Amino acid sequence: MNARERVMTALEGGCPDRVPIVEPWINQSVLVRLAELLGISSPAGPIDDQALEEERQEMMDVYCQVIEGLGLDASASRFLMGMSAISGNLVRNKYGTTYQLSEHGSPLPVSGPIKKSEDLAGYDMVSKLDPDDFNEVRQVVATCGPDLAHFVVVPCPFKIAWWLLRGGMQQLLMDFVRSPGFVHDLFRVAVEFCKRAIELASEVAPGVTIILEGDIAAERDLIVSPAHYRKFIHPYYEELVTFSHRKGLKIVKHTDGNAWAILDDMVAAGFDAFHPVQPQCMDIKKVKNHLAGRMCIIGNIDCRNLLPYGTEEEVKASVRETIAIAAPGGGYIISSSNSIHPDVNPHNYLAMVEAARRYGSSRWSSRTSKGEPRL
Amino acid sequence: MGTLEDVKQAVLGMVPEQVEKLVRKALDEGASADQIMNEALIPAMGVVGDEYESGERYVPEMLMSAEAMKSGMEVLRPLLTEQGVKPVASVVMGTVEGDLHDIGLNLVSMMLEGSGFMVVNLGTDVSAADFASAVRAHKPEVLGMSALLSTTMLQMKNVIEMLKDEGLRDRVKIMVGGAPVTQSYAEEVGADGYALDAAAAVKLARRLVKP
Repeated sequence: MNARERVMTALEGGCPDRVPIVEPWINQSVLVRLAELLGISSPAGPIDDQALEEERQEMMDVYCQVIEGLGLDASASRFLMGMSAISGNLVRNKYGTTYQLSEHGSPLPVSGPIKKSEDLAGYDMVSKLDPDDFNEVRQVVATCGPDLAHFVVVPCPFKIAWWLLRGGMQQLLMDFVRSPGFVHDLFRVAVEFCKRAIELASEVAPGVTIILEGDIAAERDLIVSPAHYRKFIHPYYEELVTFSHRKGLKIVKHTDGNAWAILDDMVAAGFDAFHPVQPQCMDIKKVKNHLAGRMCIIGNIDCRNLLPYGTEEEVKASVRETIAIAAPGGGYIISSSNSIHPDVNPHNYLAMVEAARRYGSSRWSSRTSKGEPRL
Repeated sequence: MGTLEDVKQAVLGMVPEQVEKLVRKALDEGASADQIMNEALIPAMGVVGDEYESGERYVPEMLMSAEAMKSGMEVLRPLLTEQGVKPVASVVMGTVEGDLHDIGLNLVSMMLEGSGFMVVNLGTDVSAADFASAVRAHKPEVLGMSALLSTTMLQMKNVIEMLKDEGLRDRVKIMVGGAPVTQSYAEEVGADGYALDAAAAVKLARRLVKP
């Protein structure tokens, strides 16, 4: 079984030869440190969104070598948003959103192109999406080859609506209450953009798996009520799942936080997998019991405390325990509980991958979800 | 008074224009600014906080009620100043250096204002030096720090250390919050309290300033 077959088998709820190992986000500063540990030559440090094409290609090449060196079963890449510097730490994308950069995380919007419903008239973001925006995806897929699974990260309509169109989550959330029609109009624009992005991703990388990213839950509960989720978000998610499936693509929903309230809605929408099962918010055993046979689970190895500050032995023990819970019966892919971010100790990540390979054998995969040997 | 109850219901009903109108009506009917604040706006935000904690309200509804309350406070603020009505206490709030997340910060700030606190919101990416300057300048009873990333959360310790170095630590109670923050982390860095969410932050702030 090659890596792609392994991942696809798990996404379909089956039992692969071993638990697949994927990681949708590896921060560049950790990537460079991982490359060093693996003996791979790399640029001195991370490159930013305005890097030259050659610098990007060089970093993507390092990424592919690290994926290969680690023996991961999938790549994960993104399409570009056409960021350009404005001044100081402010950048703007080609869709008209201004962001403030931080060395600690993703850029956060400070202003968006849609301040009122009238701004939607004539606003066209679909035609601004260019096949060249997918050059990194193209390069990663070509370099890593067809034996690996390939994920492409697409922001979900909720994320596009606040992170791009409205330029801030606070405004969008208030729109949910005061301007429901406007919210639907925003999501319609967003979902058409998502569809076009998925289409271009599948042209560049046939058979790609989509990760529809965008947090809809916080630590304690959903950000919006289940009623608002079902009214404003679920129909568009369902539309994107149907669209993806018609193209023969699998689609994963990513959200941090406690998503229990809408887990069954995600199953109903037809998502193939749920990522990342944040351990502070969702118990992996309960999630496995709930989703077994219905949706693949990806994630759960703690990247908030364990991967940054734990010992390698603690990491390995956590991997062993998680696989023992989540792998039986199939439908489990191991990853961190969010990303390999700048604070993650690269030695711990190496330990995690090594343990995943060691403990993720078919000995676990060939048991039922109750832990009984499969006959 | 019926109008005060109507003000309260309009805050709970999340209708800013209605709150403003009814606050003016209440003033015309002879209610004092602090009476409207203490008997309508603050109790309304208390209900909002309780309903958020019990899962009846979510972030959009909290934000809209806070917006509605704010529209009432904007009418009352100059009158409260004129009457010499003091806030419950003053709070300086900010998200720590390197962290740009503001929704939690803004929600806590709005809920504190809705509960009678005077809030100075420093915004995001606030350095330890800027927190210290704000404490020196505004002399708040409470300093609130927010962080959404486990990497930036570490800045909270730096802020507290700087306040100690500058002889300011004993002048202010410190509360912390944000996704990666925990009670044990708050204790570890020497904060006076930890709040899980905006509603809990208001309760904590009240407790911290109680004589």
